[in-house]
Amino acid sequence: MKLTVTAALVATLSASTAFAQDLPQASSDWYTSAQALIQEKLAAQPITKKAKNVILFVADGNGVGTNYAIRLFDGQSKGMLGSENVLPYESYPYTALIKTYNINAQTPDSAPTAGSMNTGVKQIFNTINLSEAGVNKDCASEEGNKLTTFSEIVTGMGKSVGIVSTARITHATPAAVYAKTADRNWEGEAPEGCTDIAQQLFDAMSAGTVDLVFGGGSRYFAPKDVETMDGGKGRRIDGRNLIEEAQAAGMQYAYNTASFNALNLDGSAPVLGLFEDSHMKYEYDRADDDEPSLTDLTKAAIEHLSKNGEGFYLEIESGRVDHANHAGNAYRTLTDGQEFTQAVALADELTDDEDTLIIVTADHEHAIAFNGYCGRGSNILGLCMGIKAGQTEHSGEPLLGADGKPYTVIGYLNGAGSVMTEQSDGSYFGTRPALDEDAATDPEYLQQALIPMSSETHSGEDVVSFAKGPWAHLLTGTLEQNVIFHVMHHAVTAE
Amino acid sequence: MDRRTFLIAGLATGFAPRAFAQDDEVVRMRDLYNKDLSFSDYAKSMEGRRISVQGFMAPPLKADSNFFVLTKRPMAVCPFCETEAEWPNDILAVYTKRTLRTVPFNVRIVTSGELALGTYTDPELGFVSRVRLVDSTVARG
Repeated sequence: MKLTVTAALVATLSASTAFAQDLPQASSDWYTSAQALIQEKLAAQPITKKAKNVILFVADGNGVGTNYAIRLFDGQSKGMLGSENVLPYESYPYTALIKTYNINAQTPDSAPTAGSMNTGVKQIFNTINLSEAGVNKDCASEEGNKLTTFSEIVTGMGKSVGIVSTARITHATPAAVYAKTADRNWEGEAPEGCTDIAQQLFDAMSAGTVDLVFGGGSRYFAPKDVETMDGGKGRRIDGRNLIEEAQAAGMQYAYNTASFNALNLDGSAPVLGLFEDSHMKYEYDRADDDEPSLTDLTKAAIEHLSKNGEGFYLEIESGRVDHANHAGNAYRTLTDGQEFTQAVALADELTDDEDTLIIVTADHEHAIAFNGYCGRGSNILGLCMGIKAGQTEHSGEPLLGADGKPYTVIGYLNGAGSVMTEQSDGSYFGTRPALDEDAATDPEYLQQALIPMSSETHSGEDVVSFAKGPWAHLLTGTLEQNVIFHVMHHAVTAE
Repeated sequence: MDRRTFLIAGLATGFAPRAFAQDDEVVRMRDLYNKDLSFSDYAKSMEGRRISVQGFMAPPLKADSNFFVLTKRPMAVCPFCETEAEWPNDILAVYTKRTLRTVPFNVRIVTSGELALGTYTDPELGFVSRVRLVDSTVARG
């Protein structure tokens, strides 16, 4: 069979080469690099061994559009025009479009989306890991409707489980690894009869279904008004100090860069790293000596979890791509997004494609949009510059709207950057403020938006999954988000 | 709006910030804080002096007051980021000379006042601040 494949490949190559010699475009770099890519793809073979490890990367809110912006930002920060850049995961062999809606929501939120990837079924808006009979905010509806998570399944197979997030570790995406709740907001307090998310994490770590967590959110692990080591204050009203209880139970605790660097990563003791009382800092605002980067956390998590010979499941979330989009601030969206790409690249370096399935995806997209017709190299954060005949790069002259004002490449359909502002009589009226390149590329700038809202919204648009490693070839086409669980499950159970 | 009106309006808009800048340099919130939230050298050097800071007026805590919080980006309330309204940790408390006229949370302003550093708890509101502008005025920026 192998011989036949090789012979067929040679025949294809010869035909392609002969054909190319006749074409005037055959010497173009575009043509030859595409030909080289075709050869790579022809040579690629799917990996059908059982996966020892699974890493699920989620950049929250990083749909097709946001990811496009990260691609250009990353490229431009490396001196490219931008569009030609290839993010580390964009060269993975298998991609799919992922449909992100929730059972009862055309526009999804991060709780049921992450839940679908961790349980294999779509879920109800604002709930985590309950069946479709679960009712948001209805504590009684949890009973009998709790689903089994991927982390519980792989724990049963002897694997270790880790969770990394730059959001609070009790926030929707990380919580979906271990929690089952009728309301994603029950992070540190729940109605009688239900268990808050922080306590569910403590219980999971105590039970051994979670072995390592890095993130923010210490406030929900410490009693109300009690100061935490990261400089924040606790909010638990039940008086429990889950951080102290964890330490007393033999778990390691880190709260800043120094204590993070002092962790013992030999896999012998569980790790609880909580670096902020709420979310960790945006990458742009972060200081190295205060808290580790997502890349630092990824490296340490893999080092610790890989000590288990049976393998591991690790979910890594860049949680604040989403938050910056909500704020309408493309600068922090893209700087956090770029850090995410570096964390993915490092995880890939530290693992072996033959035994580790890596999936890079998002939970949902945002109401982000892109203007035209910008010339190549227009700063993705800045103004849309014109195209100039006879040159590849843009003209340096900003394009103008019919109102005579320039506009940025990125815009939002709604949010705090709205050009409609509240007038003294309570009505809303808008005219686009004037702007220049300096103002538009400032780290605090909010791209102009249309509908006035305090917080920009998610959108129901598709996201992408990029995959490599065992059974990654199952992640192709246009898929429901819950299929991701089934690929991970098949990969770790395949014979 | 006809072209002539537009030009005049454009001149007026362009003129105001330049005149302002000649009187007083406008700084940003990030010029007052380092990344670790310690005070910048600029903030320390300007303590007790009048400065002008660009930012946004968070929705006031109390009507007819002379107090508001200046944020570096509009104070968006994001239901999926926070379970309740939460202040960022790099804010500037502003005490105004006159009773405050509210500006929408997403309209840029410049506030000028005397810079005060150090932790202070507002006796009426209980609001704890580390940096303040006192005896301040507010203009749309």
